[in-house]
Amino acid sequence: MKLPGRVWVLVNVVIGLVLAACPAIRAADAELNLFAWSEYIPQAVIDGFTKETGIKVNYEAYSSNEEMLSKFLAAGAQYDLLQPSEYTVEALIKQNKLLPLDHARLPNLTNIAPEFKGLGHDPQLKYSVPYMAGTVGIVVNTEKIREPIRGYKDVFQDKYANRIVVVNDNRELVSWALHTLGRPINDITPESLEMARPIVTRWVSLIKLFDSDSPKTVLLNGDADLGIVWSGEAAILWNEDHKFHYILPEEGAHMFVDNLVIPANARNKDAAHAFINYILRPEVSKLISDEFPYTNPNAEARKLLSREQLENPASYPKATKLEIFRDIGKQSAAIDRMVTDIRSAAGKADKE
Amino acid sequence: MMSTVESDNQPAASHDAGWIQWLALAPLLAWLGAFVVVPTGIMLVYSFCQRDELGQVVYDFTFENYVRVFEELSWATPLRSLAAGVVGAMIIASLTALWKYRTGRQLTPSALAGPARRGLLVAAVVAIHLEILAPHFQGVYLRILWRSAAYAALTTLLCLIIGYPVAYVMGTARRRWRNILLAAVMIPFWTSFLVRTYAWITILREQGLLNATLTAMKLIDEPISILYTPLAVVIGLVYAYLPFMILPIYASLERLDPGLIDAALDLGARPLRVFSSVIVPLTFPGIAAGVLLVFVPAVGMFAVTDLMGGAKVLLIGNVIQNQFGQARDWPFGAALGIVLLAMFAVVFAAAAGELVSRDRGRGIWRRRWPGRRGSPPPGQEDGASHLHVALG
Repeated sequence: MKLPGRVWVLVNVVIGLVLAACPAIRAADAELNLFAWSEYIPQAVIDGFTKETGIKVNYEAYSSNEEMLSKFLAAGAQYDLLQPSEYTVEALIKQNKLLPLDHARLPNLTNIAPEFKGLGHDPQLKYSVPYMAGTVGIVVNTEKIREPIRGYKDVFQDKYANRIVVVNDNRELVSWALHTLGRPINDITPESLEMARPIVTRWVSLIKLFDSDSPKTVLLNGDADLGIVWSGEAAILWNEDHKFHYILPEEGAHMFVDNLVIPANARNKDAAHAFINYILRPEVSKLISDEFPYTNPNAEARKLLSREQLENPASYPKATKLEIFRDIGKQSAAIDRMVTDIRSAAGKADKE
Repeated sequence: MMSTVESDNQPAASHDAGWIQWLALAPLLAWLGAFVVVPTGIMLVYSFCQRDELGQVVYDFTFENYVRVFEELSWATPLRSLAAGVVGAMIIASLTALWKYRTGRQLTPSALAGPARRGLLVAAVVAIHLEILAPHFQGVYLRILWRSAAYAALTTLLCLIIGYPVAYVMGTARRRWRNILLAAVMIPFWTSFLVRTYAWITILREQGLLNATLTAMKLIDEPISILYTPLAVVIGLVYAYLPFMILPIYASLERLDPGLIDAALDLGARPLRVFSSVIVPLTFPGIAAGVLLVFVPAVGMFAVTDLMGGAKVLLIGNVIQNQFGQARDWPFGAALGIVLLAMFAVVFAAAAGELVSRDRGRGIWRRRWPGRRGSPPPGQEDGASHLHVALG
């Protein structure tokens, strides 16, 4: 039977619209929308959760807190679990974006070591559960670099120009400059930024590249010999080859604590609580430590780790109490403006 | 209406013609509306808003985003340079028009070589003045915009230099070779763009293929540091956009009548003259399409600078991406985007004006300017007489 041409066109248009609308139709409670750091949650952990509960986990990744905030604030009720650092948790709590956790559904919360309770951003662990902690420090390829490196000043010497990789994080860069000035890293004012500016300008001209996703690859490839990177990356490098030493800078360093939180408008709150409780199990937490050797806040899980893991100087540095980042509100825009200005000016100097 | 001739024989067709055309266009219009018009409108609104502490958009009207884009622009000297450039271009254009009138040349394809040279001269004049302008772009974002346009222009130029010979060989080869070469250009398209960029990283890094080969051949002692420099960014950009330059030029060259080339050679032109007076003007639409397809995306590219430049070379694409990501200043990112859009609108309007005058009178443009531009006067339709005028 031959239909007039325009009917066929209409049929095709309707089929097309139906196919396009299909993905929007999905069951709300059989899924968990996880928005977490890249290279931070092992696939085995996610698969284990799905196998046990039947809940499908959609894992989306980001490589900075600011990027996460940007997407989360724009996304509406799209995510069920976030993984912000401590200062971002503080900002989210202030803006009432987080769901208070139901501790009755988190019996494994007692596994968390006492030093991770009572921190400034969420003393009662009312809204967040620590996932992994770490530091940001210096990695040295001791095969290529023979002199001792003790701090930021030793790293940013002219002879190491173009051999340095750092994380692509504007706030980190400024905090290191403030460390060398002996100023508190959460004191972000126009004056402190002006003092930090010449230091950061000089440093940027010596840096070879910025990489937050996987700076260990750059160091392993030999494209850089010095790096200021996350401690977990340094720990992986140490496990790869003991020539990579990890040092906490003598001018000062800060600790970061990444946490699992549930947005107030999450759709799958039950699945989210179940996932957090699952992560808090010692054997699951051990799996995370095996693949991403950051500092594990789970005291029960630490009992399951091998001696080699516990002696990794990057994972468990012998440091006294370290500062954490606090929320600085709108000042983060000032940091970004200054560092963008510096980085673009440096690019111009390269090309001339 | 074009269908009036047919409608005498098929009255039913002329009834439905308009209806069907609109329905066929509807998905495209809907797509354009939803993914081009509406987002641009949203960006325009956001560009006048502010951000709050957390980085969310607050609907408080302000001009400060645009002020920030153009900050530290000193007006006096650039205006002088721009005025001088415009006046110079006008002088050149009038001289060319006078010359053409004097020699009584028609706007035949081969005579278009002259305007093509004029256009190049204008471009050179403007470029020189922009170089004088550049030091006046003291503001951060103007500097970045300028640098992005420069990188994109360099990429376009290199793509043209490398791509035209390739397209020429492809267009004039025998069928079997033509298909093989076409496949060779198209197959990299089938792999992911990111995979190709990472492949270049593997080649260019210090312990990568290039350095390993050169060291094995004892040509160098120390590995050359190419990756994470502006050179790597240019290599990445040229590699990414080369097929976009080759394919339109190839399409143009394929339609070229080889008889014209033979005729030109018979008439005594040397190969170089044949190239500049016959082949280039005839393939000009392909070149223009290739230039647009390369320049426009290249200005906004950020993936290559991020991966191969080590996030060290900051181009406007990186800055805008940063505003919508780490910096959480959507209104400012929107303002930068609108400024970029305005720049392109101006360039495209100028280019479209040029293209219209070049067209040989086919298609809808013929209706607008009947007889004045494009359509050759009667009696001059065949190619041979065009060549004679061009070479005579």
